Amino acid sequence: MAAGKGPSASKADQYAALRELYRPHIDSFDYFVDEGLDRMLLSIRPLEIAKGHLLPPKRDGRVDVPLYPQECRQARTSYHGEFKVDAFIQCNDGPSIRQTFNFGHLPIMLMSKLCHLRGADSEKLIFHGEEATEMGGYFICGGMERLVRILILQKRNYPMGLIRGSFVNRGAGYTDKAVIIRCVQDDQSSVTVKLYYLQNGSARVGFWLGGREFLLPVGIVLKALIDTSDREIFTSLTCCYSDHYERGKGIVSTQLIGERAQIILDEVRDLSLFTRTECLLHLGKYFRSVMEGFDKDDFETVAEAVLKDYIFVHLQNNHDKFNLLIFMLQKLYALVDQTASPDNADALQYQEALLPGHLITIFLKDRLQDWLRKSKPQEVRKILSKTSTYVGKAIESMIKVGKVNSQSGLDLPQRDGMTIQAERLNFHRISSFYNSEGAIKDFNQIKKSLIAHLVGAGMAQLLPRIERTGPPEVLHVHLDGCIVGSIASPKIEEVVNHLRSLKLLPHSGIPEDLEVGYVPLSLGGAYPGLYLFTNPARFLRPVKSLLGLSDGGPSIELIGPFEQAFMEIQCPDGGDGGRNKLFPATHEEIHPTAILSVVANLTPWSDHNQSPRNMYQCQMAKQTMGFCAQALKFRTDVKAFHLQTPQTPIVRTATYSKYCMDEFPSGTNAIVAVLSYTGYDMEDAMILNKSAVDRGMFRGHIYQTECIDLSAKSRDNVMEFFCKSNLSRETTTAIESDGLPRIGEKIFPNELYYSVCNNLTGSVRPIKLKGSEPAAIDYVAVNGTNFKDRLQKANIRLRRVRNPIIGDKFSSRHGQKGVCSQLWPDIDMPFSANTGMRPDLIINPHAFPSRMTIAMLLESIAAKAGSLKGKFIDATPFASSVKKTDENSCTSDSIVNEIGPMLASYGFNYHGTEVMYSGVFGTELTFEIFIGPVYYQRLRHMVSDKFQVRNTGRIDQITRQPIGGRKFGGGIRFGEMERDALLAHGASYLLHDRLHSCSDYHIADVCSICGSLLTATVIKSDNQKAKRDMLGLPTIKPPKNFACQACKTSKGMETVAMPYVFRYLAAELAAMNIKMELRLSNRAELPTSEES
Amino acid sequence: MERAGGGGASYQRFPRVRIRELRDDFAKFELRDTDASMANALRRVMIAEVPTVAIDLVEIEVNSSVLNDEFIAHRLGLIPLTSAAAMSMRFSRDCDACDGDGSCEYCSVEFHLAARATDSDQTLEVTSNDLRSTDPKVCPVDQARAYQHALGGSEPFDTAAAADQRQLPFLTFPFPFHEGILIVKLRRGQELRLRAIARKGIGKDHAKWSPAATVTFMYEPEIRINEELMETLTLDEKRNLVESSPTKVFNIDPNTQQVVVEDAEAYTYDDEVIKKADAMGKPGLIEINAKEDSFIFTVETTGAITAYELIMNAITVFRQKLDAVRLQDDDGDLGELGAHLVGG
Repeated sequence: MAAGKGPSASKADQYAALRELYRPHIDSFDYFVDEGLDRMLLSIRPLEIAKGHLLPPKRDGRVDVPLYPQECRQARTSYHGEFKVDAFIQCNDGPSIRQTFNFGHLPIMLMSKLCHLRGADSEKLIFHGEEATEMGGYFICGGMERLVRILILQKRNYPMGLIRGSFVNRGAGYTDKAVIIRCVQDDQSSVTVKLYYLQNGSARVGFWLGGREFLLPVGIVLKALIDTSDREIFTSLTCCYSDHYERGKGIVSTQLIGERAQIILDEVRDLSLFTRTECLLHLGKYFRSVMEGFDKDDFETVAEAVLKDYIFVHLQNNHDKFNLLIFMLQKLYALVDQTASPDNADALQYQEALLPGHLITIFLKDRLQDWLRKSKPQEVRKILSKTSTYVGKAIESMIKVGKVNSQSGLDLPQRDGMTIQAERLNFHRISSFYNSEGAIKDFNQIKKSLIAHLVGAGMAQLLPRIERTGPPEVLHVHLDGCIVGSIASPKIEEVVNHLRSLKLLPHSGIPEDLEVGYVPLSLGGAYPGLYLFTNPARFLRPVKSLLGLSDGGPSIELIGPFEQAFMEIQCPDGGDGGRNKLFPATHEEIHPTAILSVVANLTPWSDHNQSPRNMYQCQMAKQTMGFCAQALKFRTDVKAFHLQTPQTPIVRTATYSKYCMDEFPSGTNAIVAVLSYTGYDMEDAMILNKSAVDRGMFRGHIYQTECIDLSAKSRDNVMEFFCKSNLSRETTTAIESDGLPRIGEKIFPNELYYSVCNNLTGSVRPIKLKGSEPAAIDYVAVNGTNFKDRLQKANIRLRRVRNPIIGDKFSSRHGQKGVCSQLWPDIDMPFSANTGMRPDLIINPHAFPSRMTIAMLLESIAAKAGSLKGKFIDATPFASSVKKTDENSCTSDSIVNEIGPMLASYGFNYHGTEVMYSGVFGTELTFEIFIGPVYYQRLRHMVSDKFQVRNTGRIDQITRQPIGGRKFGGGIRFGEMERDALLAHGASYLLHDRLHSCSDYHIADVCSICGSLLTATVIKSDNQKAKRDMLGLPTIKPPKNFACQACKTSKGMETVAMPYVFRYLAAELAAMNIKMELRLSNRAELPTSEES
Repeated sequence: MERAGGGGASYQRFPRVRIRELRDDFAKFELRDTDASMANALRRVMIAEVPTVAIDLVEIEVNSSVLNDEFIAHRLGLIPLTSAAAMSMRFSRDCDACDGDGSCEYCSVEFHLAARATDSDQTLEVTSNDLRSTDPKVCPVDQARAYQHALGGSEPFDTAAAADQRQLPFLTFPFPFHEGILIVKLRRGQELRLRAIARKGIGKDHAKWSPAATVTFMYEPEIRINEELMETLTLDEKRNLVESSPTKVFNIDPNTQQVVVEDAEAYTYDDEVIKKADAMGKPGLIEINAKEDSFIFTVETTGAITAYELIMNAITVFRQKLDAVRLQDDDGDLGELGAHLVGG
C-alpha cells in the first residue's frame, strides 16, 4: 500500500475545477428558483401578482422530514419539491381573488439551492450515501438520473442575415433572403421574428402565433409602432446611404434603398392606412380572433398586445422596436445587394446554449398558460375546483422522457431528446455529458445600468443619440438587441479598447463577461456595428489579455464566440499562426490545450498522435470499464461496470490531476511488449499473460439492479407480494423466509432467487434467474410496506464476475483497441534477461506503422522511466511548444531525448527496448523488444454479453427454421451472401449442411403418381403391428403406411428430403388454389421396386 | 532398463552448479555445461511447477466490508503461505483420505479469520496476520517471519541491505514487513468472518501457487577487447566507449588508463558498445559472445519457500517429469531423447 497522504486541508478546492464543469446546470436552475419563476409568473397575463413557492424535497406524508436523493434512487421515486403559487386572479371584471394554487411537484436539481446537499462537504455527502465528489446538476425522476442536454440555439437578440431556399415557399414573390432575430424576454421565453425580402423590394415581418406564421407588410408594423411620418421612415431607412461614398469599405447600402423605401410606404398607402391608429385598427381587426383572451377588447388594444407579445419581445419601448426594425431592414437590403455577407447559422459565433433552468422556466410557463386556458378564467369557480397538479407532472415527464409536449413548440429547434440519462459508466462518460458544449457562462443578473456606466466612462459625447447616418461614417451600438446609440467609425477602436480595459478592472461596473462584438467595416463582409451582449446563456472562455500589461502581467479576460471571430488571439505554440504584422495579437490563449475537451485532454501527448486516433480514444474512454463509483454500495444503477483493481496512470496530463481523475481511475498500467509472438497477436489481437490475470489484472464485475415492484404490475388487480412457499422444504435455494434472496448467495442460471405470492389464490410463484451466467446477490433493499405490511417493492442487485477471457476488448489511451486472443501461460511468455520480467500483454508491431500513434510509444518509455524513478510523468500535449518561452530548458528538443538518458541511467536501453529470451526455448530473440508500461483500459464490450452459439434449439413454429436472436438461443443467419460464398468455393456439402440438415430438414411423403406433396395420409393399419406387439415378436419395419388421398393408393408414395418451408409453400399455394406438382425422377419406374 | 545400442552418440554431460549468493528469498547461481533447453526447463519448472500452498476455497460467513466476496477471496488466495511442507502434501484432487472438502490433514490446511471493527473512529486494517491457521507449518509468510524475529533470529531478509547491494534504491520499503499484507479495511461496525482452505497447487494452474517472483537466466558473456586497436583510442574516446553502455560493464583503469572489463555480467546483450565501436570506425574493437553452455540464474521467491528449497524442489520436480517420460511405454518413440536418458 502506498503511504497515504493525509487528507489535505484544501479538499474543497481540490474539486473546484470539477465543480466548474457542472456549474452552468446548477446555476441556471438556481436562477429559475430565485428569479426566473417569479418573473415568469408575472408575465402570464390573467395572473395579477403572483408569487411562486418551490419547496425543498420532503418525504411523503411527513412534514419537515427532508428527502434525500439517495432515498429517491433507492425507492425509484423522484427528487421533487412542492410547487405552489399565490396569485391574484381577476375574472369577468369582478374583484380579484387571492388564491394559492397547488401545482403538484417540480423536480429539483441536485446540488441546486433547494437541494439538501447543497454545500455539503465530502463527509456529509458520504453520510447521505453519495459520492464524495458528487457534483449534482441532474434530476432524479423515477429513480433514474436524468440530465438536461444543452442544446444549441440561435444567438438571442441579434439580427442574422440568412439565405435559405425554404424562404421562397412562404408565398408568391418571396425570395430566399431574410433577416431573423430571436428575441428573448426576461422570463427566457422567446419569439423569433423574421423579416423576409420580397422580389418587389419590399419586406414582410413574419412571426408564429397559434401554430401558423403571420406575415405583415413591414410598413404597417413601422407605422403601428410609433407615431411617425412617411418622411421619417424614409430618412431613417436611407440614412445609411450617401452619394458621397460609392462602393467602398464598409458601405452597406446602395442607391436602390430609396426606391425600396418608397415601395414600402406605397404598400401602406395602398391599404389607405395613414396614421398609427389606422394601422393599429387594421392589425387589431386581423388578430382579434387569433389572440386569446382578447375577445372583448377593442382593436387597438389587441394590436398593442400583438406588438408587445410578438414583435421584438426583448424590447419594451416602441421607439427601440422601431429603430431595430429599421436596422433590420437596412441589414436585409445590404444582404440583398451583397454589400454584406450572410451570417452562418451553423457557426458558434451566432449560437448560444439552452440551459436547464431556462428550459424549465419556459416549459412551465407554457404549461401554466395551458392550464389557464383549459380552466377558462371566465368562470372563477372552475379555476378553483380544477385540479392543477398535472402541471408539475408535465414538467417531471418532460425530464423523464425528454419530450416537450407543447402546441407552440416553445420556439425550440427540437421537441424531443431534451434530456438524457446520466450514465455512470465511468467519469469520462459523465463528464462528457456536462462538458458537451463547453463552458457556458450562466450570467443571470442582466445589468440594466450598463448605459450609465458607458456614459460615465467618458464617452458622453459619443453615445446618447442615434445619428441619422450609417456606416462607414458611424456604427450603431447594440446592447442586448437594443440600438442604444452610434459612434463615429474613426473613434470606435478606441472605444472598444477602452471597454476591454474596463472589463478587466474589478470594480468598473462593466461586467467582466461583457461581450464586445465589434464587427469592423469591411468590403462585403459581415454587417458592421458594435454589438454588446450581457445576456445569459452565452458561451464564454478565458483568454489572456495582452492589453492589460500595464499593471503587471497579463490578465484573464472572458470572451465569447461572437467577439472572438473579430479578435486577434495568438496561440502560444511558438508560431505566429500566419498573423499579419498589421494586426498584432491583442490576446493570447492560456494554453494550447484550450481547444481540447476534458476527455481529449486526458490523452497523453495527443499532439504526437495521428488525429483520428485521438478521436477514437475519446470515443473509447467513454466505453471504458473503470472504477464507476465509490458509493457503489448505495447505488441502484440498472447496470454498472466496475473494475476491481484499477491503477493511476504513470504517464498523465495536467488535466488528470486537475479533475481529480484518481477518484475514478479507469485502467491499469500493463507491461506491454511489442512483438509478434505465437501468431495469436495478429490483426489487433492481443495476448494477455494468464498469471497477470490470475493476480487480478483487468478483473471486474457487472452490477445489475433489478427493481421489482409488485404493486405496479399486479395481474388482474390481484395483489402480489414477496413470500416463500411453505410447501417446499428445499434448503438449497437462496430464497429466505421473506421470499427474497440471501445476500452473498451465488445463483446459477435457471435457479430460483425470489418468489412471489398471489394474494387471491395463495399460490407461490418462484422467479428464475435469467441469462447464462451465474450471479451473486450483492444487495437487497426493501422499499416501504404498502400492502398490509407485506413486502411489495424491492431492489435486488446482482453481481456478475467478469474476469478477462478470450474475446474481451481492451484499448490503450491512443485509439489502439484490441481483442484478447489468448490467455498465455506465464512461462511461455518471453522474458527479459536482466529483470526477468514477463510482459502482461503482447501486441503486434503492425499496430503502429499505419496508425502512427507515436504517443503510445512515448508513453511506454516514459512510463518505464517514471516507474524506475518513482515519479509520475507529465504528458500534457503541446507542452514543448509552450516551454520555448522559458528558454532555459532548450537542452532537450524531443521527449525521447528527455527520457532516454533517464532510462540509460538506470541501466536500460535509451529507446526503451530490452533483450528478451523466448519463454518456450530459452534462446535469445533476434531483435531487442520494445517493452514498457502502457496504461490500458478494459472496454465494456465483453464476449460474455455477445457470443452466440447454437447447435439445435428453438425453431420457428411455422417454417421450422431456427429462430434468430441471442436472447432466445437463436442462431446467426446464414444468408444469401454467405450462400454465394460457399457456392463460389464449390463447398456443396457444407452448403447442404448449413441450409438444409442444420435448418428445417424434413422428409416428406410425395405421391409420384399425382405429384402432390400434400395428399399423403396415414393408413390406419396398425393392427398387424399391434398383434406382433402382443406376441412379443420383434417389430419388423412397418410397411408403407401412407397413401395418396387423391390417387387412393399407396403405390406411388415416395419419401423426399426437402426443406420444411417448401412443404409450407405448397400448402400456402394450395390455399390459393394453385396446385404444385413434383415430378420425381423415378416416376416411370414401378413403385414395387421401392424399398422403404 | 535395457536399450539396444542405437548407434546414437551419447550427449551426456555433467552440469555443474555453483551458488554465488543465497539468501532466504534470493539466490544467484551459475549453471554450466548444459544447454539452453535444460536451463529454460529449470526456469519454467521453478515458476510454474514447484508446488506451494495457497488459499483456494473461501467460505464467507459475514462480509459487510466494502469489498465484495470474490474480491476478498481473490486477495486471500494471493497471500503467500509458508509451503515448506508442500512437497510432501497431496494434491486435493489426488487425495484418497478425503473428498476434497478440506477436512483432511494430507491435502489441506484450514484458516479462520474473524475481524470486527468496534473501535470508534479508527478504521480496522484486516491483514494476513489475522488469519489463524490450524496447522502451524502453514501460515502467512509475514507471520512466520515475525515469529522468527520474535524468537531472536536475525532479520532474514534485510531489505535495505539487499537494496544497497544491488544498487536499486527504489526497493527500500517504507514499512516493516511484519505488519502483514492488507486484506481489507473495516469501518466501525463492519465485520468479516470467514473460513478458508489452503491447498497444494502449482503455478501452472493459478499464479497464486507460483513460489517464484522472478526467475531469469542469462548467458554468460565472454568479452574480448582488442587491446591493439584499443591503444589507438584517445582517453576521451575510451571514456565515450565505456559510457556508451547503459550498464557498467567496462571501466578505465585509473592507473594504466586501459579499458578493462569491470563486470561482464552486467552486460545485457544490448550491443551498444559494439555499435559505438562501429560508429567510431573501429569495428572489432570489442567482441562479445554468449557462452552457449553457461548460465547465470537469478531467483527470487515470494517467501512461500526459500530460494534454496525452490531450486531443490524444482530439480526434484524436473527429475520426476523426466522419470515420467522415461517410464512411458517403450513403444513411445523417444528417438534421440532416449539416448540422452540412457546416460542419466
